[in-house]
Amino acid sequence: MHLPVQLTWLIPALPAVAAAVIAAVPARRPGLGAGLALAALAGSLILALLALAGALADPAARLIHTFTWFDLGHGAIRLGWLLDPLGTLLAVMVATVGLLIFTFSLGYLRDDPRAKQFFCFLSLFAGAMLGLLLANSLLLLFLCWELVGLASYLLIGFWFQRPAAARAARKAFITTRIGDLGLLLGLVWLQDATGTLLLFDGGRGVLETEALGALAGASTVGGLAVSTAIGLLLFCGAAGKSGQVPLHVWLPDAMEGPTPVSALIHAAPMVAAGVFLVARVYPLLAADLALASVPVHALTVVATVGAITALFGAAVAVAQDDIKRVLAFSTVSQLGYMMLAAGTGAWTAAIFHLLTHACFQALLFLSAGSVIHATHHEQDIRRLGGLRRRLPVTCATFTIGMMALAGVPFLFSGFWSKEAILHAAHGWSVSALPFHVALAAVALTAFYMTRLLAEVFAGAPRGHGAETAHESPAVMTIPLVLLAAASIGLGFLGTPWWPWLQSTLDPAFQPEPGGAGLMAVSIALVAAGILAGWSRYGRLPRTSPEAADPLARIVPRLHRALAARLGCDELYAATFGRLCTALAAATTALDRSVWDGCIRLLAQLGAYTGLVSRETDEDVLNSGFNAAGDGLRAGGRAYSRTQTGDAHGYVWMLAAGFVLVTLAVLLGGVR
Amino acid sequence: MTIDHSELLHAFRPEACLVTGALLVLGLDLAAGRGRPPERRAQNAALLGLLALAAALAASFAAAPAGPLAAGTMLLDPLARITRAGVLGLALLALAATPGTLRLPHAAEYVALLLFATAGFTLMAGTTSLLLGFVALELASIALYLLAGFDKARPESAEAALKYFLFGAVAAAFLLFGFSLLYGLTGALDLPGISRGLAAQPASPLLLVAVVMVLVGFGFKAAAAPFHLWAPDVYQGAPAPAAALIASAAKLAGLAFFLRLLGSGLSGSGADGEPAPWTGAVAMLAVLSLLVGNIAALGQGNVRRLLAYSAVAHAGVLLLGVLVSARAGPGPAVYYAVTYGLATVGAFIVLAVLDGEGGAQTPADLAGLHGRSPLLAGALAACLLSLAGIPPLAGFLGKFLLFAEALKAGGPTSLTGGIALLAIALSAVALYYYLVVLKEALVRGPTPGAPAIRVPAGAALSLLATVALLLVLGLLPDLLLQRF
Repeated sequence: MHLPVQLTWLIPALPAVAAAVIAAVPARRPGLGAGLALAALAGSLILALLALAGALADPAARLIHTFTWFDLGHGAIRLGWLLDPLGTLLAVMVATVGLLIFTFSLGYLRDDPRAKQFFCFLSLFAGAMLGLLLANSLLLLFLCWELVGLASYLLIGFWFQRPAAARAARKAFITTRIGDLGLLLGLVWLQDATGTLLLFDGGRGVLETEALGALAGASTVGGLAVSTAIGLLLFCGAAGKSGQVPLHVWLPDAMEGPTPVSALIHAAPMVAAGVFLVARVYPLLAADLALASVPVHALTVVATVGAITALFGAAVAVAQDDIKRVLAFSTVSQLGYMMLAAGTGAWTAAIFHLLTHACFQALLFLSAGSVIHATHHEQDIRRLGGLRRRLPVTCATFTIGMMALAGVPFLFSGFWSKEAILHAAHGWSVSALPFHVALAAVALTAFYMTRLLAEVFAGAPRGHGAETAHESPAVMTIPLVLLAAASIGLGFLGTPWWPWLQSTLDPAFQPEPGGAGLMAVSIALVAAGILAGWSRYGRLPRTSPEAADPLARIVPRLHRALAARLGCDELYAATFGRLCTALAAATTALDRSVWDGCIRLLAQLGAYTGLVSRETDEDVLNSGFNAAGDGLRAGGRAYSRTQTGDAHGYVWMLAAGFVLVTLAVLLGGVR
Repeated sequence: MTIDHSELLHAFRPEACLVTGALLVLGLDLAAGRGRPPERRAQNAALLGLLALAAALAASFAAAPAGPLAAGTMLLDPLARITRAGVLGLALLALAATPGTLRLPHAAEYVALLLFATAGFTLMAGTTSLLLGFVALELASIALYLLAGFDKARPESAEAALKYFLFGAVAAAFLLFGFSLLYGLTGALDLPGISRGLAAQPASPLLLVAVVMVLVGFGFKAAAAPFHLWAPDVYQGAPAPAAALIASAAKLAGLAFFLRLLGSGLSGSGADGEPAPWTGAVAMLAVLSLLVGNIAALGQGNVRRLLAYSAVAHAGVLLLGVLVSARAGPGPAVYYAVTYGLATVGAFIVLAVLDGEGGAQTPADLAGLHGRSPLLAGALAACLLSLAGIPPLAGFLGKFLLFAEALKAGGPTSLTGGIALLAIALSAVALYYYLVVLKEALVRGPTPGAPAIRVPAGAALSLLATVALLLVLGLLPDLLLQRF
């Protein structure tokens, strides 16, 4: 049984409608809203599974359904849905992880008075995200993209009473908006160059041979192919959404939202949007590869940005003290890996890592949420410690997530997907540098994750929260266990011996032979990272919250710089922030002094004209005809409404109007 | 000329539903209503009226014969069918809001009159004969005069009815005079015959006089300046649901009738490039209405008078629609009239509900409405913003389609293009006075001690349906436009 492509709209519509309904149900029935959100997303999951089954039945066929949104005289705006393995697989992932996060939220936000709004926003988010994944039109994708941005703004700022949360929400919104500007420009350009924004349209879509050839053939400023320029603009949007350097600054702050939101935003759905966009428009990005004379290929930029982000995130994560902040930077780093994979041509590996990362990062965030919930909102790892006995389930699941993220060999999914990415980077013909950068990040990842695990769970409790911790309820731990199982199992979908996932996503995929040596190197690096971490943090656990970090003792300056996140925020505040403030001040001054004056003048003129007209209409004309009928009323009361006099006037006016129009028509000679 | 009676019955099912419904309402109230409390009688009458309207609406969607009917006096083309459904829908909304908002001693008569008026509207929508058209117009008008004066307890209501009647009677006299001139010129009463007769003779000043006389009748129905003087008094004095009907369904039906009259009866010789004989006069009325309506509305201190002057301004845009219909067909003009009617009905229903709570005369009486009833405030906002033409509400697209057609016809320097530019400029003025009302309703805090407002179920449903329709038509205009 497969989902007919015409009914694809149901998948995003269910949660979206649920969001609308939840917004309308009374706030004193939060259970109703939560139930509705869960039911709608479960329905979407079932439909997405049916769609996936249909797409897998014939991976090379693309089921598309396009329809006209509205007609604009010369050309209609057409939108459409697309069912292919890439979109449906991710839709299933988003719906599944979303369902687990919804369930977890039931426990996490049980006592929050605004839980209803929370589920409303979550549903809106899920609906927009599913629509984004299944769109066959870049315009529809963009609409959903912006809705995702809006929902994430609402969710990050859910506790808007806290200034930090409100600030983080604003930051996320504005930063991603900078990327979205590029995306929008790219879309406009694309529409202008090809006349359509449909991805596939029976040979006329933007991702099909004809349009790609035309785009790659034309050149623009600086010798760039048009396809390169458009591809880079689209990549701006992807970089903003997926937290690539230099637009990564919002991602770590976004953890100010409730922890399920962090899981939703950092782990799977939202940041996946950027990587998904790159994978979706990969043919466009790769269109310029055959050209030798262009100054830069779009994919080279993608790979470079990805490699920088991977190393940057991993390095900064080493020196963070907030459990969620460490995980947030690990997300930045992992997203860098995915972009690196896409840039080196292995977009299937990027999606593979996206899937496995979605599971283990959601697992890590929800486990961290469980820790935070259990310790009464203690997030500073220096004040945690010794939780392995108090939170056995959480400890086990967190460890599994950590192993998967660190890339511990063979059993864990992260290993296989990271291996695929390293393999692709190794085989990249343009430069070997990204490969070495990625290797360095592998060792760093293992190191900081070991540090995090040791600080939180090993040793003795170092704070009040950790001393009184108790395991979270089943509604929170069951999603953890399910995600832990997925974090192990998912890896076997894409091993070098049986690359099912890669060949399903890309029917032309050919596994490259070799790689045993590479695998040995990466295993050695992971082992070195874990050992180093254990020797610094696990062997001799921290004894008090105030004790200095071992790394700070060895390289104090570097540690300080990393702890300050290499000063990106300060740099932006000093440059763009100042610039914007100055511009805003100038605009305000202009607005206050010049425009406001003009508007006031116009308003005065308008009001005066209105007054004159009213007086003319109601006093001069009406009373004028009254006067013609029965003489001017004594005192000239303004537009009196006594009955007979005015009615006479009206009829007089009617006759006069007739004469006026007739005369005008006859004399004017309009025939 | 033979008349196929079964076909006729088939085609006139909506009208049959309405007339039967009206008689049933009267009869049942006489037979069974006596001795019962007036509220019950009012409720039953309204319920029966709603059923009749709903049945008529359902029947209006049924298939109908395509050619001329009843010896060439009716034509159920898309224009007629859409207008028929439109006036029935608007009447349904206006009637649904009546129970609970309007307390009348003789509710059954009120409902029956409303149904008779609606029957007049539906006949106006489809007629191609001067005679039937005039009778339908009078059927509707006389019922509306009575409805305007139905609230006998209030002197303003009687005043409104009297003014409406006097003005309407004189306008009808002009119209009848114009019709007789046309008959005298061509010897035909049906529009195709008149068109043929006019084509066969040279242009005469008499034809122009006849055209202007017809336009007086239309100007009265549409409240176009300088024939708009009745509108402020009637909108202010009539019971709000009756005013809603006068402002919305009557306008739509009038538009359809005159579109047909001017389009297929008086379209001129049909030679290329030669405008119809009424072009200049209609353009003049349009410009006058736009200017007078928008600018006079600025100075209004009463919400209903403000709506009346805004109606005059909208009549100007409708006349522009009549001008472009020669080239673009009736679609944009009817879409505009439907969306305008919806928004006006919504606004008047809000005022009707407020009448039960002590009334709302000046914008300041609306202060803090959002706190007293979010539903009323939200619906008022949707309706007024649609009137102002703010997307995604339907009013925006109505204006957009009309202006686009007007500018397409000959560019900004042509007659229609110039009027469109004027209308666009005046839209900015219009936004101001709508926002003055909305500012009170949405931004101001309530006066201390103002009680919450209980919205009667019928009015609430009616408002929700209106807002939903405004949104749906605004987002999916093809639902309506494709049917032309």
